[in-house]
Order: sequence, then C-alpha cells, then structure tokens
Amino acid sequence: MNIARRDFIKGGMAGWVIAQSATASVLANTSTNNKSSKKIVWVMLRGAMDSLHGVIPTDDPDYMNIRGPLVESIKDKLLPMQNGYALHPAFKNCHTWYQNKEFSPVVAVASGYRRRSHFDAQDQMESGLDTTDYESGWLARAVGLLDGQGLAVAQTVPIALRGQTSSQTWYPPHFSATEDDTLDRLRSLYAGNEEFSNLLESAIMNRDMLDMDERSRAKPNFSYLAKNCGEILNKEDSAQCAMLELGGWDTHNNQATRLNRQFDILDKGLAELKQALGDTWKDTVVIVTTEFGRTVAVNGTKGTDHGTGSTMFLLGGAVKGQQVFGDWPGLAKEQLFEERDLMPTTDVRSWMASVLHQHWNMSLENIAYIFPDVQPIAQAIIKA
Amino acid sequence: MNLDQAFIAAHRFGFGASKKLIKQIEEPKVWLLNQVSPENITAELGMLDLDWTSQQAIQAMALYRKQKKLEKKPSESSENMMMTGSDATKKAVNKQSMKLVNRTISHAINSESPFYWRLVDFFSNHFSVSVNGQNMRALAPLLETEAIAPNISGYFSEMLLAVESHPAMLVYLNNEQSIGPNSKAGLRSKGKKGLNENLAREIMELHTLGVGAGYDQADVTELARAITGWGVDGAAKLNSGFQFRAGLHEPGSRNVFGKVYRKGGVDQGIKILKDLAENPKTAEHVSRKLVTHFINDNAPQVIVDEMVTVWMQTKGNIPKVISAMLESPLSWSDYLAKFKTPREFLISTCRACDLKRLKPDFVKSLAILGQQPFSAGSPAGYKDTQEYWAGPRAMMGRIEWAEHVSKFVKKVPMDLAQQALGSLLDERTAKAMSRAESKQQAVTLFLMSPEFQKR
Repeated sequence: MNIARRDFIKGGMAGWVIAQSATASVLANTSTNNKSSKKIVWVMLRGAMDSLHGVIPTDDPDYMNIRGPLVESIKDKLLPMQNGYALHPAFKNCHTWYQNKEFSPVVAVASGYRRRSHFDAQDQMESGLDTTDYESGWLARAVGLLDGQGLAVAQTVPIALRGQTSSQTWYPPHFSATEDDTLDRLRSLYAGNEEFSNLLESAIMNRDMLDMDERSRAKPNFSYLAKNCGEILNKEDSAQCAMLELGGWDTHNNQATRLNRQFDILDKGLAELKQALGDTWKDTVVIVTTEFGRTVAVNGTKGTDHGTGSTMFLLGGAVKGQQVFGDWPGLAKEQLFEERDLMPTTDVRSWMASVLHQHWNMSLENIAYIFPDVQPIAQAIIKA
Repeated sequence: MNLDQAFIAAHRFGFGASKKLIKQIEEPKVWLLNQVSPENITAELGMLDLDWTSQQAIQAMALYRKQKKLEKKPSESSENMMMTGSDATKKAVNKQSMKLVNRTISHAINSESPFYWRLVDFFSNHFSVSVNGQNMRALAPLLETEAIAPNISGYFSEMLLAVESHPAMLVYLNNEQSIGPNSKAGLRSKGKKGLNENLAREIMELHTLGVGAGYDQADVTELARAITGWGVDGAAKLNSGFQFRAGLHEPGSRNVFGKVYRKGGVDQGIKILKDLAENPKTAEHVSRKLVTHFINDNAPQVIVDEMVTVWMQTKGNIPKVISAMLESPLSWSDYLAKFKTPREFLISTCRACDLKRLKPDFVKSLAILGQQPFSAGSPAGYKDTQEYWAGPRAMMGRIEWAEHVSKFVKKVPMDLAQQALGSLLDERTAKAMSRAESKQQAVTLFLMSPEFQKR
C-alpha cells in the first residue's frame, strides 16, 4: 500500500494539525472508533542492542564457546527463564515481572531491513514499512485509526509518530513560562502567516496540556523521561500511545561494562514507567525494540559490530508473560545470517501487528494498512 | 549593489547583518567567496588564538590514566595519595576543552567571515564526533579546529584525510583499537585481537559515498583492513598525534569499491580515501547536504547537479564547489525557506543584540535549544532538516529562551532590528515591537519574528 505523503507536513510542522486529505477521510470512515484506556508504549533502543548479551540462550551449545570472554563476569549470576534462556543480571525488575507473568522476550527478530546502517535501520523501523516513508510512522498510522493521539517524549516528532494523526511532543522545559501577554502579541504578529501561527498554537496547546505541574529542571535522563511519560499517559483524555528513546547501545568495544550500565538504565527506567502508570499498567503493553542486532562473534576490541537478528521485549500488565517467544535459529556458523549474524526467524513488525490486533482489537484489514508488508503472529501474546 | 542580496548573503549564508558588515558587502558572492581564501582562513584561525592541541590532550589523558592507576593501588603512605591528583588533571582537561568550544562560538559571533564559520559548522556536523567519555571530552572539539577549520579552502580529499587520521575520529570510531588479523600484532594475539570496522563503515556511509551508493559489506571490511594501524600517540611527530603502527597493519593488497590497491602501509589507506573523495557519489552526497543545509530542505536537483559537475572537474575543490552553489539563482531566491538551526539562532541573536556572553553560557544554551556541540550522540551528526528543530516543543523553547536573553539586551530594540534585518524587517514586526510593553518584550518579538527565525 502506498502511504500518501501530505503537502502540509513538508517542512516538518507536524504539530497538532489534522490532515484533510482524501485518504484521511476514507480512514475516518473505516476507523474503529474505540478510543480506549488501553495503552501502548514503544521504547526504541538506538544504536543496536546486543541481544545475545541481554537474553542469553544458556542451552545453545555454541554460546559459551563464542561469547565466553564477554560474559565471564556475569555467567554465574544470570536470571533464569524457561526453555533454556536467562536474563542478564542487570534486568532485576524485568525478571520480577517475568515471574509475575508480565514480561516475555521475543528472540531472533529483525525488521525488514538487511543492511547495517543504524540510521537507515532506525528510520525504517519507525516507518514500519519495507522502504522508509519519512512522513508516515507505524505508531501514527495505528493510533490514527483509533482517532487517538500519540505522545513523543522528544524535542521534535520522530518518524514513528509522523503522519495523519495529531501527536504531542513533551520534553522537560528550562525557563519560566512565557507570559500570556507576550504569547498574544506573537499571535497577532504571526496572523496571516500560517506556518508560524500553527506552530505557535501547537506550542501553546502542547505546553498547557503537558506542563501544568511544577516545571521541572531535572536532567532528562531515561528514568525521568519514562516517569513523565507514564504520568502524562495517566492523565484523562491523554494519548493512547507513546514513544520513548534510549541511546548508547553501539558497543563496538568494552561491551561487558557498557551493557551492565545500559541494561540497568533500561531496567530502572521501565520500573519508573510502571510506577507512574499506576493502575493503567494492567492495561498497558510496552514494546522494547532495537534497530538490529550485533555480530555473533566478538570483535578485536571486546565488543561486537553491526549485525542483524536481535531481541524485543513485551511487558506490561496486559502481556501474556512468563514466556520466551520466537524460534531460536542456533549459533553454529551455517545457522547464521551471512555466516555472521543471528538469523532472524520472525519480523519485529509481526509482533507489533499482533499487539495491535490483540490489545487494540484492530481488524486484519487495518493491520494491513499499518504494516502492509507482514502478517501478525497468530499466537496469543496478550492476556485474554 | 542589490541591498536585499547583501542581507540575504548575511542571513542565509552567515549569522545576520550589522551596519558595519553590510557596508563591506559590495558584491555578495565575492564577499562570501573571499571568506574561504587561504589567507583569510589563516587570519581567522590566528584570531582564534588556539592554545589547546590534540597532542596536549593526549598527553594529559595519559597522565590522567597513570594517576588513576596509582590511586587504585593501596598506597604505602597517605602522602602518595595526595600527590597523584587525577581529579585535578581531569578538571583541567575539561576546562580547556570547554573553553575551546565556547571560544569558537564567541569568535563566530564577532567574526567578519561568518560564511566561513557556517561552513566550519556544516563540516563539523558532517564529520560529527560526540563526547561519550573522558577521552572524547578531551578530544572532540579538536577535530573541528585542527582537521576541519584549516581545510575549507582546499580539496575535500585533504579535509577527509585530516579528519580520518585525527585522534578524535580514530578514538571515537574505535579505529585506534582495530588490528589486522594477519598483522604482527594480530598473529601474536592468536586470533584474540582483530578488526573493528566502525570507522570504515562510517567513512563510506556518512563521510563520503553515502548510504545506498552501491558499496557492500566486503568493501567496508576491505577499507577497515586498509586503515588498520591508523592510531594515536601523544609523542608522535605529527602535531595532531596521529601515529601509523606498521605492526598492526593488515598486510596485502585491498579491493575497495571495484579498485585494487597494492600493499603500501599508510599510503594504501590514503589512496583509497583520495579516490573516495573524488567519487561522483561522494560529490552528490556532500553537495546535496550543502544545499539542504544552506538553502532548502528539499534541495533543488539542478543546483546539486551543477555542484557535482564542478566537483568532478576540480577533483573536489571546496571553494569551487561552493562557488557553483552561489552562482545558482536559486541560492538567492525563495528566501526564508528554512528555520535557522539552534546554533545559527543563538549566534545570530548574540550578534544582533551585541551579547558577548550568556547565562546559561553558550554551550548550555545550545543544549537547551536542542543542539549541544559535540553531543549529537551519533556519527551521523544532527539531522539537518528543520523538522528536527522547529517543532512545537522547540518553538516554545525558542520563545522562552528568547525572552530570557532579552533581559540582558542593553541597546534600543528598534535600532537592533533595523541593523540586523534592514529592508527585510517586516512592517508588522516593527509595529508589534513599537507597541510592546517593555524593552524585553520588544526584543523577544524581534527575535521571534519570522524574518529573524528563518533565512
């Protein structure tokens, strides 16, 4: 399916404006109109997380031979899961949720992208298509069908939330709020200039909706962003879905130390999100993905290079937890992608599609519009 | 002289106008191109008065590591503990580094060669390095002052070589740790040490050919092998601290992007870089980025084509390629096509309002506005289209920041606006400013006017 590009978004003013194109009205007619309290939070790990270091296939006969040197310091502290998998010891909260049936990883996944550029891979994953459409993101297409709204915890709208949907951005402010009088004067200065008027109105609406509380000057670390994301989602009439981002995964060297820290940041941030969501957690699915995996072999600098297959996490009260989803392809040389990377056995988007189908009750027809290039996974991944 | 063209030259290709500057612009194109002459660049760099080099940074970091090691050892006497002082070394390094970043900004605010500094910013983002640890905190800003700023007047191949052999890049993309598996060191390690293809990949994907240019994994690996041994040494003879280590270099000939390069130590990599710099894909990639940056997010193909032609004729002579861009009428039409980047907004604000320092300082202000120097967090640098810095959230950030800095403006707002914008100052803005309830508010309205926000 061709996702129509809109003219007005050229220049990127993707604020609060709703598209008036032909496609938009068709969609409005077919929309499911079931704006619900069921939330989806997508956490994008930028830089390619090494799945083989996070979800460890303890039963794979080749694993220790290949990865032994990298996991020397943690191999006795792994957190066990079923079917011969274990979590890295830094995933303390995730493991507790696993035991509480609220966490299930999916092994050996990838998007449709098969090259090794971070930036192209991330853009394509955000777009959710086989070729990137920079003005249409999968999350925007999905929430648009609900007549809902997306929230980006970022300075500007990421690709995933661009499209025929209103999306908000939130990021911690730094100065005291500008007086209404000055904003009114800017309003009249911009009268007649559509671009600036729209931008200003979006900016004001955005601020008033999101910054009612004490304006914080805290350093925007992942935990802080995740906490605020949860609090915003918990507000009445708030967004149905949100996107969070965390970088720092490109571990070409000194991987063991760096991933200890990164996994801890991710694990604690997810706990902040859960805490802030409160009761909403039980109706929430958090999807954690990364653009691609890393080489199975260790490189010359105690790290790993850009690869292909990786892992994703599904967590939240709505998730059918305590499972390890996906098929394990093995680590012997002939089982690898290009004799180098973990072979992906399912598409990340199939699982995302399945979340939309089972959690948001989206029809297969609508799923085909959001993810035209994949089929949803049939297996039950959301609690009945 | 066409006065409007002079203002366009000052805004679109610089950091805004002033009375003095406008007087200097008789022929806008000539004025712009003179700024990238070798003599002018030498003069500009002389005024920067650099007193911090890679060599000093590398030596200071070596001292820092030594001190750290000593501090970890159980000390025999408490006196020993007092003497090591890694903390003081670290602080001194960070202070020098931060000073350098702030100094280039304050120099750009006052410089009479604003186009030159815009080009330095452009290439600094093209060859982006980020502070991701103490080593990069020491080295990152030096890539710009040592490898990029001195090389704007020459060939792209010269800048490319200076960048890829600079300690900041070699450390940032791990090449100083990459070892040829069949080199002396590689064989000695019995397979434990080997290649790291990080730098090689980004050279092809980001610095030269561009993604999708037709190279494949084998090309990346071959380039990675060719540049094994490109490393860093504080005691190296070369000023930048580059050191070629033959014992780490993968022996043999290499096949990169369809061409065979015979064995030849450091020269092998140099030859490959030169060919990459002169490849038409590189010409297209970099020219398009230049047009996108300076003129319009939807770079008109016709200008790009003209630049590529000149690039191929001149083997990538940077001033000639830029001249081709400036020759196009499209460089002078469709004015106000693009929002200023956060850095342009900050520097043009300080220039227009005669602000010599800021609180929060330049670097912190840029962090607030969204593009902290050397913090893009990705070798791709900051994205260069306005959707990445002109969304609703960023707009409110600009309004709040503009209101904040307006407090520090001492001069008469209308004078500032007229000097900065001349005939480009819209009547509506002038009217709004004259009715403002305070001087601060008038300055805020001026800084947030469409004709100051865009260029």
